Amino acid sequence: MSVSATTIPDPGFGGPIRFVRDTALLTARSLRAIPRVPERLLDVTIQPIIFVLLFLYVFGSAIHVPGINYKDYLFPGIIGQSLAFNAIGAGVATANDITEGVIDRFRSMPVNRLSIITAQVMGQFCEALLGMVIVVVFGLILGWTPHLTLVHATLLGGLMVLGTFAFVWAGVLFGMLVRSPDAMQGVGFIVVFPLSFMAGTFVPISGMAAIPRAIADWDPISALVASVRGLTEGFRSTGSLQLDHPEIAMALWCVAIIAICVPLALRRFNRTLAG
Amino acid sequence: MLDSTTPPTIEACGLTKRFGDFTAVDALDLRVESGTVVSLLGPNGAGKTTTVRMLGTLTRPDAGWARVAGHDVVREADRVRRAISLTGQFAALDKNLTARENIILMARLRGRTVRAARVVADELIERFQVGEFRDRLVKNLSGGERRRVDLAASLIDRPQLLVLDEPTAGLDPRSRQVVWSTIRELVADGVTLLLTTQYLEEADALADRIVLIDHGREIAAGTPAQLKAQVGEQRVDVVAADGAEFERLTATLAPRFAITALRDQRTVQVAAPDELADLARVLAAVEDGHIQVDEIALRRPTLDDAFLALTGKPIEGDPDYEPQEVAA
Repeated sequence: MSVSATTIPDPGFGGPIRFVRDTALLTARSLRAIPRVPERLLDVTIQPIIFVLLFLYVFGSAIHVPGINYKDYLFPGIIGQSLAFNAIGAGVATANDITEGVIDRFRSMPVNRLSIITAQVMGQFCEALLGMVIVVVFGLILGWTPHLTLVHATLLGGLMVLGTFAFVWAGVLFGMLVRSPDAMQGVGFIVVFPLSFMAGTFVPISGMAAIPRAIADWDPISALVASVRGLTEGFRSTGSLQLDHPEIAMALWCVAIIAICVPLALRRFNRTLAG
Repeated sequence: MLDSTTPPTIEACGLTKRFGDFTAVDALDLRVESGTVVSLLGPNGAGKTTTVRMLGTLTRPDAGWARVAGHDVVREADRVRRAISLTGQFAALDKNLTARENIILMARLRGRTVRAARVVADELIERFQVGEFRDRLVKNLSGGERRRVDLAASLIDRPQLLVLDEPTAGLDPRSRQVVWSTIRELVADGVTLLLTTQYLEEADALADRIVLIDHGREIAAGTPAQLKAQVGEQRVDVVAADGAEFERLTATLAPRFAITALRDQRTVQVAAPDELADLARVLAAVEDGHIQVDEIALRRPTLDDAFLALTGKPIEGDPDYEPQEVAA
């Protein structure tokens, strides 16, 4: 007698009603953590705020970007970087849940499997949006003046939601792959941190040395930063095909990240994590 | 379905799980009858948790099969999940929710309405004496308190099988006693229980049947009495105050008891088949002889002793393992 363990799909679905119900319950669980672990929200807000203060009032006097006031140059960069940092936050939270065994408990219960991971993403997504709102409000208080038409605002909002969704999924995937919150912090620091600094966030890509410039030209976060800057300030970046058309590039990057990360994350959740 | 015999709650055959080159569970057979308590006993890394995870649908077996409550753990995983309640090695609760919120969440996930979930949570809080810390966040609870919340959350729907993976790991002796008495109440209620533990004492105290495993294989199985008969009896260890007293101690005890004298440790080990009665006799003999002793203790056979007796070799590399003893 044998069991062909890997060919039979997991039957833990239980219909769309249960999916919606379980997702709502588990998302509510994640959201409850926000006021109780405020330091998690601080992670995605304090850091951008510190960077704003540092770059605006410390380094900023030495940075001159032709054609734009540095404050208006800086805030779109900070917004792009904050959005990318959500990948780290989502990864750490996911790794935490896995190491604490609470996810295993849900998995051993008659709970829709897909809803466990959907709720994880939804919770992180809401947390990310809340963090973003705080960063934007902070920017407006400090005198950042975005010039938005209704069309641009809608486009920007759509891109931000899509981008947050993509980076949160990537974070959830990495959180499951590395399994420990500390390792996730490490991965975030090594991968996301430099990419988010190179992305024309604080200084123009055109002035960088050849190697970082080559990376920055095709860094997805560059497309993100350039999109925000283009839509809010009408400031266009150039240097590569994606920087010439940042909104399209960013949408394509997000779709690609989602197309790769979602199936991998689901697979990891259902199968490898179970091994 | 009308059936004259109740099928076993767990039936596993040739259950195997490999992680790369490492075989965690190696063709394990297991049978747990309905209404009984079976303990999987073994050192760290013996394959206890992996076995429990396969039975609980969290890990897929590489070979073999298992049926829980009559359902295949792979093909009918969802049915198995409805029938069981699995409690992992470390209390698997949401740290950022209170004890009560955790139980309510689990009840909601098991299909209760908000109101019904509150009712069942409050019943369980009462029953497991969670009341005094019900509104504290789980992250601020002690290990023993978390365990009680964990057990309460496991019993929302009366499960056909309750699986407890090392329920007293890391608990202080008092919390351990509380968890034990809770488990005994559940057992008296007729819950079928599969329990893993590293402590022979715990398996002995709670289980109808013990399956001793190591390297993913069954080494021995039987009732606690059968297993202990194989392991050997209890003994009384008497430690003399100094070398001269050790000589007097040996001279006093040797004619009356079966003893082993360990000169380097100034210790005389006395076989104690009658347990406390033998301890009392040894105490009386020491007192009558006015012998100065540092310590007299009744020692129960430990998992170490069981391994030694059943495999002829001690447990390998087990840094967490601490022998259990009962002081007189």
